[in-house]
Amino acid sequence: MTMTEAPPSEAAESSAAPLPAVGGLYDWLTTSDHKAIGRIWLRFGALSLLFFSVIGVLVSFERLDADAIDVFGGVNSYFQMWSLYRFGIVLMVAIPLFVGLATIIAPMQVGSTNIAFPRAALAAAWGYVLGSLITVISVLAGGGWGALDGVSGDEADAIRLTLLGTGMVMVSIILGTICIVTTVVSLRTSGMGLTKVPLFAWSMLVAGSVWVLTLPVAIANIAVLYIDLSGGAGLFVGAPNPSFDLYAQLAWILDQPAVYAAAVPVLGIAGSVIPVVAKGRQVSHEAMMILLGLAGLLAIGGWSQPFFGDERDTLVYIAFGVAAMVPVLASLGGNSATLVSGEAPVGIPPAHMIGVLGSMLLFLAATAAGALRVIDPLDLIGTTADTGVLNLVAVAAILGSLGGWWFWAPKTDGRLFSGIQGLGAMILLLLGGVLLGATDVIAGFVDTPDVLLASADDSLGDAMIVLSMIGSIVVLLGVLGALGAITLAYVKPGEAGDDPWGGHTLEWATATPPPAGNFAEPPARVRSEAPLLDETPGDEGGES
Amino acid sequence: MFTTGFKFFFGLTIALTIGAVAYGYSTGGEHVGPVTLGWKGGVGDHVGYLVLIGGAFASACFAGIIVAFRDADPAAQSHYMGVEAIAPTTPVSGSFWPVVGAFGGAAMVLGLVLGPAVFVLGLVICSLVAIEWTMDAWADRATGDAEANKALRDRIMAPFEIPVAGALGVAVMALAASRIFLNATKLGAVVWAGVIAVTIFGLGILYAARPKMNRNVVAGLVLAVGVAVIAGGIVTAVDGQRDFEHHSEHHGDDHGEDHSEEGEASE
Repeated sequence: MTMTEAPPSEAAESSAAPLPAVGGLYDWLTTSDHKAIGRIWLRFGALSLLFFSVIGVLVSFERLDADAIDVFGGVNSYFQMWSLYRFGIVLMVAIPLFVGLATIIAPMQVGSTNIAFPRAALAAAWGYVLGSLITVISVLAGGGWGALDGVSGDEADAIRLTLLGTGMVMVSIILGTICIVTTVVSLRTSGMGLTKVPLFAWSMLVAGSVWVLTLPVAIANIAVLYIDLSGGAGLFVGAPNPSFDLYAQLAWILDQPAVYAAAVPVLGIAGSVIPVVAKGRQVSHEAMMILLGLAGLLAIGGWSQPFFGDERDTLVYIAFGVAAMVPVLASLGGNSATLVSGEAPVGIPPAHMIGVLGSMLLFLAATAAGALRVIDPLDLIGTTADTGVLNLVAVAAILGSLGGWWFWAPKTDGRLFSGIQGLGAMILLLLGGVLLGATDVIAGFVDTPDVLLASADDSLGDAMIVLSMIGSIVVLLGVLGALGAITLAYVKPGEAGDDPWGGHTLEWATATPPPAGNFAEPPARVRSEAPLLDETPGDEGGES
Repeated sequence: MFTTGFKFFFGLTIALTIGAVAYGYSTGGEHVGPVTLGWKGGVGDHVGYLVLIGGAFASACFAGIIVAFRDADPAAQSHYMGVEAIAPTTPVSGSFWPVVGAFGGAAMVLGLVLGPAVFVLGLVICSLVAIEWTMDAWADRATGDAEANKALRDRIMAPFEIPVAGALGVAVMALAASRIFLNATKLGAVVWAGVIAVTIFGLGILYAARPKMNRNVVAGLVLAVGVAVIAGGIVTAVDGQRDFEHHSEHHGDDHGEDHSEEGEASE
């Protein structure tokens, strides 16, 4: 056989430039460039963000007065939308935005020419799109994660479709995550040991590992529910309260500790952005890596699901709930120290800085609320505090990913997004997140039940529900502002420059927009976690 | 000598082992059972002990793998491989198959609700994707020349792809046309037959004149077909099965409305 003209090893350098892109729809469907694949995640994640923000407002509106307001046409429809919002905001918005950002940025941060398994990454992106569509359409058509008035024969098909669509989204997230994790583990450039990996890439390694560990458990739950609905043992369908028994089998991924995994990358984005804003090194890179690892460890939650019995009154659950605060608080402290020790920005703060700091504050608030929630005498479990923690985590993740998107926009989209519009959107999201989450937590203290359409029976609880709805509107305004600014950046693109912020990591050593293959020449041997600072004359850039 | 990753997992192994032994003795472990994996004496609570000791074994394995690969440090790897730097990732050509695979997966998901036919369709699509994907992956690494790789791949796969694609195209066309003919009037069927024939003829001329179609047009067609399959599936799932006519034993009976009622009654 003489088919091989040159061995791959010899040809590797000459073939480093991939085939030219055709552009348009063809590229969307066939691309093997990680930046185009990441943009699929980001675009559909942004669309989902808008959709689920609207659903969130409608759900909050109906919650104001269950007797007088009927937005969705019945209690069952309300339950479907209520659960759609909860699953959607985590599985179809928060996590996909991180996966999209990481698919673009993580390979460049570690000095790789592409993501590992680019075709699998493309399949994952489209699997996410199709799975989300199947899920949403099936819910709108009468499916969902259970039914308040019991599952009838006609509904069972649509519910099974919802479950399978959710499973498809999860499988896609796992597949996309495996590509990112493999890139960070095995495609790092010369000299970049694990301890020198930039914090965002590291956070995706941590969070991705938690997702890969956790989501298959949820997929197993889906398999059990599917079989149960398809004429199995009737474990949940035949139970006295089928709606919640069905929903609860899967809802543990929206509950602490598992829900924290959706926001772990926030710590990594902040760890990458803050040193650049402060124009100095992270005060302790390795300590931040350990804190991120701890945050990920405390977000493993497959064990706390009701399938294994009620784990929520065990010592382990309480310990996880309280301890989760520690790495987030310490990470915020580390970033604050970096900010204080460096050069504080003069004038209007950049949008990405407000975004990542705000997201860390919201994440801290979520873990603090979670710590209160597991304290038994407070009796918060089962109240609106459950939704409060979920919303705080979700908005933290959204704000963090948007902050990261603003920061890395020259590399993700080849242009800068408006700083002023971004700042406004980030502030709105921060305020909205606080209102949306904190009010539900406070309402939980007066025993406002999380059970659907139940009245608060308390004026404070009623007031908090009104404030929560206002919070959801403010969040929607923030989302509209952010997406509007991104759209405007495409209508009137401005000059971005290769490194507008004075970045520290390798993605800023590429052109804007980055070419196919990312680097014109392989990066020089890396000596620290901030390689571009090492190249600056006068900077020691010692090994960390 | 010992890498950071090794130290972490080795430390975790020690901690989990001590935890397992302590847990074993605190939950009724006897003699040296918790220390000897139950060889002499009980280990206490089996589940907790097994989780902890299992974790210790897993960590030990990780530690071994990580130290063997030097924490996946590229510099160390390149040293052991005897090269100056590890080669960049192999460029991967663009491919429709990942998207087709995603649609195949979606068809399988729909098939689990709609019925075995759609599921099998999805399974067939995924199987074809697996073969094509494998060949693409092989061809990408065959030589250092991307164009030569593509030619090589086409030389092997085209003899299979073109007949299969042709057969599938004819099958889809025949199925679609049959649906139209069954729903049309007699005159309408004649008109439709003419329209379809002219369309096929026109497409043939177009293809003969411009064999290299715009890739975005091809992409649009693939997407349209995929979306049609998925949307049709979801609509069918939501609407449920159509009412089938159940023929009674009275052969030759022309009163269809009575049949559907019989069918429903029998259910």
